Amino acid sequence: MRKRIAALALALAMVLSLAACGGDNSSKQPGGDKKDDGQGSDKVYRIAMVTDSSITDGSWGTVTYNAMVDAATERGWQYECADAIAQSAYYDTFASYCDQGFDIVYAPGNQYTDAILEVAKEYPDVVFAQLNGSMGTPEKAENGNVMVMFPDSHEIGWTAGILAGLMTQTNTVAFIGAIELDTTQGKYAGFKESAEYVGKQEGKSVTVLDPVYSGDFNASDKGIEFAKALMDQGADVFFGDAGAVDSGARQAIDEHNTAAGKVEVYDIAQPADLLGQNECIICSQVTDNSSLVSMCMESVENGTFEGGAVYGTMGNGVLSAGKISDLVPKEIQDKYNAYLEQVKAGTFMK
Amino acid sequence: MDMTFVTNLLLASVHMATPLIFLALAELYSQRAGLVHIGIEGLAAIGSLTGFLVSYISGSPMTGMFLGALMGILVNMIYAYATITLCAEQTVYGMIINIFALALASFIYRVYFGAGASLAQVNLMSTLSSALGITSDNFFVELLLDQTLMVYLAYGLVLFTAVYFNKTKSGLNYKAVGEYPKAAATLGINVIGVKYVASIICGALAGMGGAYLTTCYSTTYVDGNVAGRGFIALAAVIFGRWSAGGVLLACLFFGFCDALQIRLQISGSSMPYQFFQMIPYIATVAVLTLIGAKKAGPKGAGKPYRKEER
Amino acid sequence: MKHSGKLISVLVPLVSVMMAFVIGCAIIAILGASPVTALQALWTGAFGTARNISTTLSRATPLIFTSLCACFAYRCGVFNLGGEGQFMMGSIICCYIATRTGLTGLPAILLCLLAGAVFGGLWAMIPGILKVFRGQNEMIISIMLNYVASLFMSVIYTNWLRDGTVPQTAAVPDETRLTRIFGRATTGFLIALVVGALIYYFLFNTSMGFQLRAVGLNMTTAEYNGFAVKKYILLSFIVSGAIAGLGGSAELLGTQYRLISGFASGYGFDGVAMALIGQLHPLATMAVAIFFAALRVGSTAMQTATGVPTSVSDIIQALVIVFTVAGLAMVKLPSFKTALARLHMKKEAA
Repeated sequence: MRKRIAALALALAMVLSLAACGGDNSSKQPGGDKKDDGQGSDKVYRIAMVTDSSITDGSWGTVTYNAMVDAATERGWQYECADAIAQSAYYDTFASYCDQGFDIVYAPGNQYTDAILEVAKEYPDVVFAQLNGSMGTPEKAENGNVMVMFPDSHEIGWTAGILAGLMTQTNTVAFIGAIELDTTQGKYAGFKESAEYVGKQEGKSVTVLDPVYSGDFNASDKGIEFAKALMDQGADVFFGDAGAVDSGARQAIDEHNTAAGKVEVYDIAQPADLLGQNECIICSQVTDNSSLVSMCMESVENGTFEGGAVYGTMGNGVLSAGKISDLVPKEIQDKYNAYLEQVKAGTFMK
Repeated sequence: MDMTFVTNLLLASVHMATPLIFLALAELYSQRAGLVHIGIEGLAAIGSLTGFLVSYISGSPMTGMFLGALMGILVNMIYAYATITLCAEQTVYGMIINIFALALASFIYRVYFGAGASLAQVNLMSTLSSALGITSDNFFVELLLDQTLMVYLAYGLVLFTAVYFNKTKSGLNYKAVGEYPKAAATLGINVIGVKYVASIICGALAGMGGAYLTTCYSTTYVDGNVAGRGFIALAAVIFGRWSAGGVLLACLFFGFCDALQIRLQISGSSMPYQFFQMIPYIATVAVLTLIGAKKAGPKGAGKPYRKEER
Repeated sequence: MKHSGKLISVLVPLVSVMMAFVIGCAIIAILGASPVTALQALWTGAFGTARNISTTLSRATPLIFTSLCACFAYRCGVFNLGGEGQFMMGSIICCYIATRTGLTGLPAILLCLLAGAVFGGLWAMIPGILKVFRGQNEMIISIMLNYVASLFMSVIYTNWLRDGTVPQTAAVPDETRLTRIFGRATTGFLIALVVGALIYYFLFNTSMGFQLRAVGLNMTTAEYNGFAVKKYILLSFIVSGAIAGLGGSAELLGTQYRLISGFASGYGFDGVAMALIGQLHPLATMAVAIFFAALRVGSTAMQTATGVPTSVSDIIQALVIVFTVAGLAMVKLPSFKTALARLHMKKEAA
């Protein structure tokens, strides 16, 4: 009997909520379209970001998101972001922002290239700003509405490798990537070259372990296990290009250092100054992505946008080295800065 | 292939196995009461998020673990009510719990951390050796002492479960509910009651297994961090043939496969690592094929229990 | 009495949708946004323009296939929770044929669709055989096989059929892609409609369909009546897998063009849920799939308009499923039926 009453009560509740909802539904009909962007001179420009990383990953996702926010705040743009988007959903997400009339769709990474080219074909009026794209992408876009912003990944690798070569005690350094993107491979190549070169200048033979790839920017647990296994192989300076995976690696390094009672394994962060986020970070390779995004916004505002590529190097100030931790001895800091001057002047390894 | 490689592989296996043990025990307690539950993944996800949020706010991983378990129970009550009282199809409702709990976890995370794009990190539970102030590279010290409280709890629970189901009257009654609910009812066992208790235990363990990931393993949270462990736990229960000891061995074996698979990726082997990740699933299908339906778990599992009204 | 049974089967999903929306609106209001604006944006995002409608239909297409897959098997009394794996297996063979054999154009399309259906059917045969000959739980086995298929697909796009630096396969050549009928909706959507209509015809207008449903309603009675129960169960698995496999091909040739990480993720379980909400009626199931696709497509517009995260839409979808399945179980309870019968008697007496 109790059950019957319960069942009836539930049915009643369902019917009541139906009634309540019916009212709610009818009230929404007459509401007019209040949202109007307004045309003319005080048009509010809008930029949308699509990323497969999480914007709270404390690494690539966070930094590239902040770059957009900073640029948008500076120029008075509205911004939106869709993060942790699966690769299979890039196209849909881009297209849905285009449908909503965004002026710029911004995507930080080379992995978006194919989806961007597809969507750019269908939405000639929307500008696509891709950070870290490939050189050839803008030419492939039929409508000329794709711009790639190109921080020199090789140079980023160099500057990290110099410090790694100077700092390593075990003469073994490691690199963790997420996906074998051109830019990630560029960073690794530069890292390897300069770590070996600088090691030789210092009279030691530095081994750069083969890069490892997690296949996924959000797999922080893989970062933990990767770093542990690489430390087993003797690596004592890490550099990475893998979003939340980097954060996982730093956690494992910090744990190792705590267990050892001293900081003996280091990490070099990128692409913003992350010094202090983890104990093991000794320096960051900083890319001023926000100035790149801002350049793109400016050209859209002025109507001068014409696609193509913008480069960022140490030479033109888009790339720089972040603050150096006290863990790095004074004489090494001096050597490091001397090498950086060479990179800026274009004389490094020549 | 030196000693450090082997010992570190074993240590990693134990680390990988611990969350699986919690989740598999959750599944075991549920199935032993006749409730097949494929929603462990979802319960773990919400437990993981709760554990993370609470320890982020309160600074205490223990509180996070506790509330993670509580949240697991809460969400599992939806499953319990639908499958026990309303007699909904268990597997389907388990699947629904997955969809619902994963959406809920992702939603809460986004609402709480929404616009602030900075890395949220929490402190992990401290290990016994660090609490005792022991630092040593010795393999046995690392294996036995360099673990959090939750690891000891996991193994303690396995032992308790083995004794409970085989040696105690209450445990035998519990199993009877999963095997022959009607017969159990005639013996005066409160079948519905036992099933609800099972759901509470299951929810708590699954929530703890999820919270383990964010309070003992990783200092950060990412969506989808349970990464299929709920289903591997289901596989472990079948592979371990529904006994506590078997489940433990299955978890350790699957943990070993996982640890090996990670090292394989680093060594640059040409054998795709995904094949190692497949092992738990293929092993489960193989076991089910070999043992036949009669021995495949509690006989009453998966069937709704309707108390006759007249 | 029979009449009211039908009414209830329509009422339960409707009431569930209402309840889910009420809770969704409450959440939106708690987040400080206007539920009316949010629902409006959701509606416009999904159906506001022809283009948005086409997006919704394109997103619905794979869901229609997986939900029909679940629907067909369940009609025969077996649960196929492996739609996702069968969908993936279909797309894998389709990808191989479209990108590696050199075939293009219509012959390639036809071969791809056929091969996709065959592979999906073969993959579904495994749980079917184990169910029929070993009496095993087909749900657990098909779930396990989903993971195997998904990992196998990952091997395909990261190793065996990989193209370029990003882990993904080459794109299907332009000539082999499905034609777009309007906006983003392709002939894949039409194929889905045809499949749905065929299933409807088969189930309700052929004697085989009748027998299959009889097996689904009561296996023991069907066996007693001399129906080949085992044959029907195996058949239903194979056909159901073929539907999913065909869907995998259509999705690859019509929307995604390449295998990548995240392809088809979640489609299988979603399909089962939609089939249940559609009361296992093929036509209703298709409508439910479109409804869910609309919720997904509209949610980004909702996020832009109100700042409410898209995951609110996920919650609403999940709640619809939670309520419907619980509601359907409830109305099947003996106690509910007696209560209903009493209500009827009172009405008639009055």
